[in-house]
Amino acid sequence: MRNSNNTGEDRNKDASSLSTTLDSRFNQTLRNVQGTLYILKMHRLLKGRSFPGKVLITRRSEPLDQSVLYSPNTGRRYSDTDFEQGQQVEISTENELQNRSNTNASSSVSHATMGTETMSKEIQKYSAGARATDSARLMKFTKELSGVTVILEKLRELAWSGVPPYLRPTVWRLLLGYAPSNSDRREGILRRKRLEYLDCVAQYYDIPDRERTDEEINMLRQISVDCPRTVPDVSFFQQVEVQKSLERILYTWAIRHPASGYVQGINDLVTPFVVVFLSEHLEGSVDTWSMADLSPETISDVEADCYWCLSKLLDSMHDHYTFAQPGIQRLVFKLKEVVRRIDEPVSRHMEEQGLEFLQFAFRWFNCLLIREIPFHLVTRLWDTYLAEGDALPDFLVYIFASFLLTWSDQLRKLEFQEMVMYLQHLPTQKWSHVELEMVLSQAYMWHTMFNNSPSHLAG
Amino acid sequence: MGAYRADDDYDYLFKVVLIGDSGVGKSNLLSRFTRNEFSLESKSTIGVEFATRSIRVDDKVVKAQIWDTAGQERYRAITSAYYRGAVGALLVYDVTRHVTFENVERWLKELRDHTDASIVIMLVGNKADLRHLRAVSTEDATAFAEKENTFFMETSALESMNVENAFTEVLTQIHRVVSRKALEANDDPATLPKGQTINVGSKDDVSAVKKSGCCST
Repeated sequence: MRNSNNTGEDRNKDASSLSTTLDSRFNQTLRNVQGTLYILKMHRLLKGRSFPGKVLITRRSEPLDQSVLYSPNTGRRYSDTDFEQGQQVEISTENELQNRSNTNASSSVSHATMGTETMSKEIQKYSAGARATDSARLMKFTKELSGVTVILEKLRELAWSGVPPYLRPTVWRLLLGYAPSNSDRREGILRRKRLEYLDCVAQYYDIPDRERTDEEINMLRQISVDCPRTVPDVSFFQQVEVQKSLERILYTWAIRHPASGYVQGINDLVTPFVVVFLSEHLEGSVDTWSMADLSPETISDVEADCYWCLSKLLDSMHDHYTFAQPGIQRLVFKLKEVVRRIDEPVSRHMEEQGLEFLQFAFRWFNCLLIREIPFHLVTRLWDTYLAEGDALPDFLVYIFASFLLTWSDQLRKLEFQEMVMYLQHLPTQKWSHVELEMVLSQAYMWHTMFNNSPSHLAG
Repeated sequence: MGAYRADDDYDYLFKVVLIGDSGVGKSNLLSRFTRNEFSLESKSTIGVEFATRSIRVDDKVVKAQIWDTAGQERYRAITSAYYRGAVGALLVYDVTRHVTFENVERWLKELRDHTDASIVIMLVGNKADLRHLRAVSTEDATAFAEKENTFFMETSALESMNVENAFTEVLTQIHRVVSRKALEANDDPATLPKGQTINVGSKDDVSAVKKSGCCST
């Protein structure tokens, strides 16, 4: 896989010719071809062979997050039925294609540098297609983002309850401190950071194996084993180009963070950034996205944003991925304590059954709950994470306590083995924003109670 | 042998661990054995996962409590805690990736450092259906297993080849160890084979496990 990757050459291609907008019908065709190729690949793998029992290849085609669905350029919201088609992207209508070609010209608007005027237009469009109650929130976001200097505290407060999808890339970059709050400096700094990432990739990734240490070869091997099985139930992540991007981001991050290096599960943590930063360049449902629609420059910029944002996120959890992962162990212990104070009966039951929190909560902390909820809800969850900033690790304890105790009644009826299995496969498949926001609100409440009065819940 | 049984109806509960390099197919071996499922889209295992299945061995019902562990070396600090109390292990490599076979030796050491000497170990060469991609010969693996005194089988979780056999063989062998231990407990301790102390999976331990529902702490 690595060998076929020739990014260096790609990058040298004439930038202007690549930025030319491709005909959207052509793009759609490419998308169809890719979808079909995937199906063909599966067919070839399985053709003429019969396998015993169940062989699971069906993709979960859940309705995707409204966030990703909303198309800022047309103000059109793709209906749920669009997404439920999942793999059947090839049946999109003429009408839809027409819409896409009409809007394509403006699809490269960079929200990072969006002016107030554009912004208010966006809002009109957004509110046209969205619930009227959203418009007040949107106005607040616009106000915060339009100043010369964004006041991060205010932005955090707003973002905590969810960020409008088309503002998400801009807001996330600001919340993580990747983009500076001063708008005059923003574009220049992002440009510099993106170039810096390119240099890193050239220096660490685009080199022959003989220039790597054995340890580095092992790490690259581990990453290349994990990339193809990153969010495998979302077909977009099965595209080879996406997996190559993941590999470059992860390897470059790992090399530059030798104290931890790559740890399985960090691959999951890049995925929310990938879908959010790509949403600035690709329209519609994630299931219909194709990397072939993007120029190498765009891919490289998106990768850079993912890389820097991942770095910023993990900076606040520096000992979560170092040897023996002490940061995670500490938080798992805290979680157990908090749960004991909030829900003594369930806590006692778990203890009596010999259940260890590490047996289920380790993965929660390691992958920040990505594995436990439907992928289309992850970006909403991350709005709150990123709004918490440096306080996130502590707040995670309350979110996870709240998440765990959602099933308090069920857990009390289960014995050890059933309980471990239940906790490792929690029934969140049908969850919507409602359930998720319930968890977050409850967490907020407990956090406030507990922090203001540590003994309040004791006894 | 091999019939699915009700969960709470068993004579013995044996803890078994699945170990080996990342991506060799441990999780699919487990899902094939416990649920008769194989997934082409499985994710990497983070920390440990868990499943059970009961089978009949001789005239007893044996419940296997199987802990599936993350393969990345970095996780060993976490996962080795789960070796405690294990009476059986499937040490898996991928027949198409030689490096995963080379690492078997380190896994074996890891296992022997953390478990009782009487643990039943089965070396498992998975993905045997990928014949054209084979990188580890059956002969090499057999020789290695003989040298290290472990059992050996090649499997395919995809084609469900030997999966049942591999787990059943491990559980049967564990049962044998336990029965021998029970027998010897009635004899003069001096007649115990020299250098062997079998202190896991005894009948008393197992019934204790049955009451509390857990043996992992």
